[in-house]
Amino acid sequence: MEPSWSLIWLIAKKDIIANSRNFKTPVALVIMTLLLLISAHALAVDYQGRLNNWSVNRDSQSDPTVGGRVSYDLSDGSFSHGIAISHNPPIQPPQQFSAMVKGMDGEMDRTVSVSQRIVFGARQDEPAISAIFEAPDTSFVVKLMVSLFALMFSLDAAPREKESGTLRAMLSQPIRRWQLILSKSLGNSISLLAAFAVAYFVEIIHLQLAHGLLTDRQSLIRATLIFGLASIYGVVFVHIGLFISTITTRTKIAVTMAFGAWATIVLILPNASVLMAKLLAPTPSYNHLNARLREARRRILQEDAESNPVARTARPSKHSLPRFYEIERQETDNYLASKKDQNSLARLLAAFSPAGALTFGSSDIASTGVDAYNSYLELFRSSRDIMIDTFKRSLDQSPQEEGKLVQVALETIASKQRRAESVGASLRSSVISISSLLVWAIFFGLAACWRFERYDLR
Amino acid sequence: MFQTILRRELQEIGSSFTFLSTLVVLTILVPLSAYIQARYYQRLGEDYDLRQSLHQSENNSQSIVLIRPIPPLAPFFNGAYDSLTDEFRLLNDSATANTPSGDVTPLERLVPKIDLSFIIGVLMALLAILLAHDTIAKDREQGTLKLILAGSIQRRTVLAAKLTGVILPITITLIYVVLLYTTVVIVFGGGLINLSVANLSVLAVLMLVALISLILTASLSVAVSASVRRSSVSLFACASIWIVITLIWPPFGPYIASSSKPISPSEAFSRNMISKEKELIQAELAEHRKAAADLKAQQVRAEVAWQRYLELRRRWIERRNEEIGRLVSARKEQIRDQRVFARRISLFSPYVAFKEVLGSICGTGLESYDEFLAAVERYRQQEFIPKGIDLRSRQKPWLNVANPDDRLQLPPLQAPSPTLSERVEAAAWPLSILIAEMVILMMLGFLSFERYDVRV
Repeated sequence: MEPSWSLIWLIAKKDIIANSRNFKTPVALVIMTLLLLISAHALAVDYQGRLNNWSVNRDSQSDPTVGGRVSYDLSDGSFSHGIAISHNPPIQPPQQFSAMVKGMDGEMDRTVSVSQRIVFGARQDEPAISAIFEAPDTSFVVKLMVSLFALMFSLDAAPREKESGTLRAMLSQPIRRWQLILSKSLGNSISLLAAFAVAYFVEIIHLQLAHGLLTDRQSLIRATLIFGLASIYGVVFVHIGLFISTITTRTKIAVTMAFGAWATIVLILPNASVLMAKLLAPTPSYNHLNARLREARRRILQEDAESNPVARTARPSKHSLPRFYEIERQETDNYLASKKDQNSLARLLAAFSPAGALTFGSSDIASTGVDAYNSYLELFRSSRDIMIDTFKRSLDQSPQEEGKLVQVALETIASKQRRAESVGASLRSSVISISSLLVWAIFFGLAACWRFERYDLR
Repeated sequence: MFQTILRRELQEIGSSFTFLSTLVVLTILVPLSAYIQARYYQRLGEDYDLRQSLHQSENNSQSIVLIRPIPPLAPFFNGAYDSLTDEFRLLNDSATANTPSGDVTPLERLVPKIDLSFIIGVLMALLAILLAHDTIAKDREQGTLKLILAGSIQRRTVLAAKLTGVILPITITLIYVVLLYTTVVIVFGGGLINLSVANLSVLAVLMLVALISLILTASLSVAVSASVRRSSVSLFACASIWIVITLIWPPFGPYIASSSKPISPSEAFSRNMISKEKELIQAELAEHRKAAADLKAQQVRAEVAWQRYLELRRRWIERRNEEIGRLVSARKEQIRDQRVFARRISLFSPYVAFKEVLGSICGTGLESYDEFLAAVERYRQQEFIPKGIDLRSRQKPWLNVANPDDRLQLPPLQAPSPTLSERVEAAAWPLSILIAEMVILMMLGFLSFERYDVRV
């Protein structure tokens, strides 16, 4: 081993020991373990509740429709009374991994009925968990706490050594300045990630033992990948801390600057990127879609009335129905495509900030993110296609045949269920976020090295 | 002396990097957020008109759709408005109001929108901490505290001057932020935002509550600063407390409440309710079959039979209302209990209390939503059902008239519009918590400073 490399490791080791002795590592360990445990418990109970909700909904799909029609036949005329009630439309099962990273999974709990149109029901979590605050899942805890502790570990790296006089002593050794920054990065990252690894491990064990979750291989791979992503996120903030410590001479200014940088990166930038996505890729509302469809229907009815003034009905004629279905298909596809585009753009813009990259990246790995949501929409789109094709085919059939065809189509779409994406697909969808975090880590690392080259040791 | 200390504090803060850089950040972020909110509000308005025209043509004696009016101050505080259903379909043969459909908004699940409550409750609170955390400890470190106290000035006067020196720039920044936000919202709101006297007074109250919440944060920082010896320790302590009470605890509150006070899943409740309705429908159909057979046997005229039928129908609607209504109220009771519990464990966070107050005064909170739901239920029982039966009693379906007029002449839904004093009264509990916390922290600051060791 080159003498400088052994020195790098020696300085890193010194930092690791110093962080343990001044209680930074133990404090980070206790706080992160506590928060991750509370988060795991709350989110696991939430997931069990959602799973329970889904299973009740699934069972209720076989409940019969009850109703009937009674005819009042009298000597001078007749009238009838009809009434019926059926079960709620189906909802899709929640993802097990939402107990760790809830992402967009809550939005997928809605009842959705599919025929020639897709109708999304109301949200299910009305009672207490309103969307005023974001979900306190693992990604949330990592976003806030890992970044804060990373800054706490690395912020006083240069000033502390300078004030205690050890910086000069270290640089009198055969070590270059960038190597010193590397050793600081190593020492502080290891201190931070060791504490985080223990807390994270305790959380996974808690989820497995107390809630019976994440026991399969796929979930463990996802958990490991999220740990990896969170670790890179931690290293980004260690490097931001090092960079700030090299551009300031006083600890107080460094702390204020770090706090401001943290608030901007963690609280403001992810919001700003989603706001930008909404500005750049606006989507029509569901009511706009409804209004367009109503207009199309009105036009077709008008054309029907003009071609055949005698048969005036409230429904498009058999002849016009295929065209009407196609308009429905096209308009709904445009609506869904605009939602998907907006989601993908938000993820792309969020990758410009480390916290945004973490939020979108971890939800992608957990299969509760943008791609999972987009494939959830795709599921309904393909089911809707099956229904429209069936309706078109049944136009020339007898009512009995039509009933049979629709029944088969309904059974086919009922068997289509949302499934977690494969780990490979999840990893592919999180590539932007992972790359963004790596670029940030390297950028701030290089920036810290560059600044430290000009650092005044006096 | 009070004025001298105050002037010095103001000069220091006015030229500080923190204050100036925060002003720059706010000047960029506030218009951006206000612009997005104005656009969002404009879209809500367009959607509202669209929905009204869509539903007006569909409404009939069997079913109507009621839409929740948009709270006029929604762009200032979105609250729970986005996440709760704002459209209800009332059905003649169902005892509950169901929701027709909704938009999909998955991004809000990942990143909630920024509104004025976030800018004030999080960013300006952060500014208050950065400005106030070193009011005492820094002077001690520099040795100026000894000099100040060497005169005949009382300690509480010094602290009052320092606190005022922090509160004044914060108040000016707050006025700047609210005015900038309001201007952008009005300019880009497409003329939809109505700044009537009532709404302006609500905005004035909002500013007052925001000020209380910011003074509370400043008092907390001053109290911490007057209890520790080093300003870096003070900043660390203030930041930790701020992170816990503003960022960490609020999202956890509702989840902890729902795991400690669980209620049955909404689908289980819905299935239970549907199965009860099925029972009632079967009994109703049996009675109709019997009535139809009896009337036929008695050879009564269709008009008489129609009146008998309507009477039977009215009785069953009432029974269904009563039995299903009982299930619905039991469910509402459970939800209310859970919400009260969530509130009890969350309200100590000034940020939650601040948002609760804003929800009440801007009409976007859960309480306002409950009032709307109650208005929908009243409308269903007092207008829709009786008028629907009344219309049916005038129809003669046995004559087979093509397309009988089935449109109901209903008055518009009177959504609750509480006066300002009623809104403030509804926010009494969180508002008192905010004020009590502010007073306690101020007193704590004064008490700590009386015992503060000024030696360097």
